[in-house]
Amino acid sequence: MKILDHNELFQRPEYLEQFENKRQFEGMAPPEKVREISEWTKTEEYKELNFARKNIKINPVKACQPLGALLCSGGFQDTLPFVQGAQGCAAYFRSHLARHFKEPSVAVSSSMTEDAAVFGGMNNMLEGLENAYALYTPKMMAVFTTCMAEVIGDDLNAYIRSAKGKGTIPEDLPVPFAHTPSFVGSHITGYDNMMKGILSTVTQGKKGEPNGKLNIIPGFDTYTGNYRELKRLLDIMGVEHTTLGDISETYDSPTTGEYTIYPGGTPLADAADSVNGVGTIALQRFSTAKTMQFIKTEWVHKTETVTPIGIKNTDAFFEAVVKITGKPIPKDIEDERGRAVDVMVDSHPYVHGKRFAMTGDPDQLLGLISIIMELGGYPAHIVCTNGDKKFKAQAEELLSQSPFGAQGQIYTNKDLWHMRSLMFTEPVDMLIGNSYAKFLWRDVGTPLVRIGFPLFDRHHLHRVPIIGYQGAINIVTSIVNTVLDELDRETMHTASFDVIR
Amino acid sequence: MVWGPVKDQITISHGPVGCGQYSWWARRNYYNGQTGINTFGTMHVTTDFQEKDIVYGGDKGLDAAMRELKGLFPLANGIGVLSECPVGLIGDDIEAVSKQVEKDLEIPVVPVRCEGFRGVSQSLGHHIANDTIRDHILGKGGILEEETPYDVNLIGDYNIGGDGWSSRKILEEMGLRVITQWTGDASVNEMKIASRAKYNLIHCYRSMNYICRHMEEEYGVPWLEFNFFGPTKTYESIRKIAALFDDTIQANAEKVIEKYKPVMDAVIAEYKPKLEGKTVMLYVGGLRPRHTVGAYEDLGMEIIGTGYEFGHSDDYKRTYPVMPEGAVIMDDATSYELEEFTYRLRPDMIGAGIKEKYNYHKMGVPFRQMHSWDYSGPYHGFDGFAVFARDMDMTVNSPTWDLVRKKK
Amino acid sequence: MRQIAIYGKGGIGKSTTTQNTVVALAEAGYKCMIVGCDPKADATRLILHAKAQTTVMDLARERGTVEDLEIDEVLLEGYKGIRCAESGGPEPGVGCAGRGVITAINFLEENGAYADDQDYVFYDVLGDVVCGGFAMPIREGKAKEIYIVTSGEMMAMYAANNISRGVLKYAQSGGVRLGGLICNSRKTDKEYELISELARRLNTQMIHFVPRDNEVQRAELRRMTVIEYSPDHAQANEYRTLARKMAENTNMTIPTPLTMDELEALLMEFGIMESEEEVAVV
Repeated sequence: MKILDHNELFQRPEYLEQFENKRQFEGMAPPEKVREISEWTKTEEYKELNFARKNIKINPVKACQPLGALLCSGGFQDTLPFVQGAQGCAAYFRSHLARHFKEPSVAVSSSMTEDAAVFGGMNNMLEGLENAYALYTPKMMAVFTTCMAEVIGDDLNAYIRSAKGKGTIPEDLPVPFAHTPSFVGSHITGYDNMMKGILSTVTQGKKGEPNGKLNIIPGFDTYTGNYRELKRLLDIMGVEHTTLGDISETYDSPTTGEYTIYPGGTPLADAADSVNGVGTIALQRFSTAKTMQFIKTEWVHKTETVTPIGIKNTDAFFEAVVKITGKPIPKDIEDERGRAVDVMVDSHPYVHGKRFAMTGDPDQLLGLISIIMELGGYPAHIVCTNGDKKFKAQAEELLSQSPFGAQGQIYTNKDLWHMRSLMFTEPVDMLIGNSYAKFLWRDVGTPLVRIGFPLFDRHHLHRVPIIGYQGAINIVTSIVNTVLDELDRETMHTASFDVIR
Repeated sequence: MVWGPVKDQITISHGPVGCGQYSWWARRNYYNGQTGINTFGTMHVTTDFQEKDIVYGGDKGLDAAMRELKGLFPLANGIGVLSECPVGLIGDDIEAVSKQVEKDLEIPVVPVRCEGFRGVSQSLGHHIANDTIRDHILGKGGILEEETPYDVNLIGDYNIGGDGWSSRKILEEMGLRVITQWTGDASVNEMKIASRAKYNLIHCYRSMNYICRHMEEEYGVPWLEFNFFGPTKTYESIRKIAALFDDTIQANAEKVIEKYKPVMDAVIAEYKPKLEGKTVMLYVGGLRPRHTVGAYEDLGMEIIGTGYEFGHSDDYKRTYPVMPEGAVIMDDATSYELEEFTYRLRPDMIGAGIKEKYNYHKMGVPFRQMHSWDYSGPYHGFDGFAVFARDMDMTVNSPTWDLVRKKK
Repeated sequence: MRQIAIYGKGGIGKSTTTQNTVVALAEAGYKCMIVGCDPKADATRLILHAKAQTTVMDLARERGTVEDLEIDEVLLEGYKGIRCAESGGPEPGVGCAGRGVITAINFLEENGAYADDQDYVFYDVLGDVVCGGFAMPIREGKAKEIYIVTSGEMMAMYAANNISRGVLKYAQSGGVRLGGLICNSRKTDKEYELISELARRLNTQMIHFVPRDNEVQRAELRRMTVIEYSPDHAQANEYRTLARKMAENTNMTIPTPLTMDELEALLMEFGIMESEEEVAVV
């Protein structure tokens, strides 16, 4: 039986007629006017007007702090994320992560309402901690705030002490916390705050014998494939390591017929022992700045920050590992590098000279700028809603290192509606962004490579690594094949419809 | 949820960036129009509160933001300001700002005080949104060339996956003139002229009963609840609606039923054998916990448990009669409680939301996300039932469930 | 590093007292910092000899975000090397001044304002702890000592008692303690005895009685502390004494706030408040 889904159903004549008939009640502008305005939005004049706006964001590429805190806390074993704030917020964060990973996302909230707004959220928190502990028996509870708790000035530290003092939760239960106001920074800031909170709590008083292990802090990384790739690479090198905030099991757990609330995460003992590691490498700078500052001053061991996206960045990552652990780079890894370079050489003709627009988180953008320039592409419009001036400076420095960076412009605190103007007035060949960038793909017609977060409209992309040499291969594969798909579509009725490309 | 789908209005998430980000085009309220030009449904527009806005207040920024928006989007026919938690906490006066901007820009500007911490659930937000429609839009002008005795409003349909369109099709085939569709694929003009209809036909009672009651009192527009899930309920509803009108409509109604009955019978013949006797547990919001029961029963399935996330006592009053003997009814269940029900009741499939979905996938329990139809739909009307039946079949009978190696 | 928060009813002379005390400490060789936690932003003007310094929030508003601020722009050095910062905030009636305090202190902390060689940090906090934001200076890891500036006037004493209540809450969950009441004399009847008794009832001490002297006003007109303006004046020595007493103070207690009835009884005992029947006539 042929079932008509929405995409076909509503294109049938009876529906098209319905839509046409409905227009008489809609009272909207006539088609000529719509066309006129539509054309106007593609102009330089419109772009200027668009860039002049200061008080409103339209399609921003950023989420808020607590989301990052939730992702971070999910990276620790038997840890229950606890949202101090209104219940709807917790539901939003969970849905958002569930849609991206296609996995369960766990969090409880203290369900603050009007009375908490006036009298403070202490009672909600005490009862919440007690109930959550009784129901879900976590070994750690990671507390973070929504904007409501922040505006009224809830003091998490005092509340937690009070809960322990009153015996509502055990004295020895680690309850790290982070103040994560939604009106400061973005999800990457929240990740940083929570990571610092967790590490400072679990490592307290644990400084002891060096354990020889390398710590890795991935940062706000929503590619479960990256976590597995990292483990694989360090295993090949024979480097004993602890990934702090390991979400690979939490957000990519096997279907076994049983649901477990805590499917994975960094074991708490390993997290506690991380203070005794030989060093710590952060794979993102802007989502770990405070954490790394804390580690540098409190743990007093070697620290490095490098995002292994692209060949040179991955080289730098291995150099950092060598520098800290003293282990040599084995031939297997050397071979992987060779294969990745082989891929880049093979595919360069379809990328060389192409102009790219890209959006995303700061660290990911730095990685993408780097790999695009390595391929001979021109990063052109780089829109980073949650980038600050440090990011801008670093990105500009990176662009200045290659002739392929010459066309690059960094736009921080801008959004996808700004990008739309840029893409109409100064066209590019390719667009890199998250699922929401598809609106640009539709409006402007520029092919889209989906890299970033969230990825809602394509399945399983987050399971494929984009870091390391293998990650470089994966990125190049998706870019070059997107170019080729587009080329096929463009040439399907011409002689240029080649079978060998 | 109520204001978002109004397509030619720009809806501002007024506050920090998160709220708008997490709800950005997640509900699939389909609409026709050119996004960013004359319609704005799939856009995330936010004042993106920063620390300075909390400390100094956000009113000035909001005022400027709305003027910037009107400059960039001249075809916007309205602006909605949905306030988030901090706005309420710091005591901003969005009503005063909206009033001034409305006057200057000459389009409706609707302040909606829907801070998340107010009330126990989203239900209060529905009520607040209804009140704002009443105060700012309804009956305030609008273009309707002529009135006919067959003018109706299709209310409480958010056009998820095109639900409203497949319902509208039936009403129009009956000879009724649907002058407004609320709020899925609605325009500001439709919201204005609704008070001039002869009847309000309401699908989602929970979210829209307030405005229907108001229209009855204020404009003398009576309202009728109906149910377009599954052929049995749809036939019933068609006749109930037709009974409000004259013989012509009643005759048309029978013709419509006659036309679609064979089609529906074919759908049932195809899917009922595969679904007969299968048990279902639902945990959703709005009207679905009760309205979908008939559709499942048409396919020979049995509802053994149902529950509301934000139901009121009137919802439960409407639910008991449609539930089979012995079924469990839950209110505001936690995920813990929901799992417990699942273990005890052992349903063949579960219909709930995205936050539950993947838990059940891990458990190997067939699951359908029934908030936005798991990115499928429509489920309303005759065209929707075919999709619904196919979707329930693929849910219950997917061979992928058999691949799960469950521990005994 | 000792962190001290000064609370008290608005207009009681917190800022004047704080700045004079800090100058006395600086004179004695201590490295000091003042963080003004009041949107009025007048906690550092006598040190900086300025009308009002650029506040953290004002600059954040101008730049759009706190992240774009540099610490040198909002942390200024004044008389005797005293470091000064002001949180800033909105006009009365809009926004959320309490959040401004949280923001400013977070910013200072994150940007290394709390240098290790700092001996004293003073927080000069808006009148009363009206919301969570104004309790920021006494949260864990910040000020552990609180002094309340008061006088023999009834409302000032009410406020002192109220603030003690707030301190009690934080004392129970954290390590915050009350160091004493500072009586900034308004020359009311039996003021010395009254405040000494109030202090006793609150389980603390009146650490110093600062007499009223017009020299303070004269100095303020020139945007200076008394110690700087007329170092040999007797009033200057009063602040030096206060500073020394605070430096040596070990009498840190958990306050025992009075009930409204108890406070009124105390006032009546000292003849400040008339008994109920008499009030009713008015």
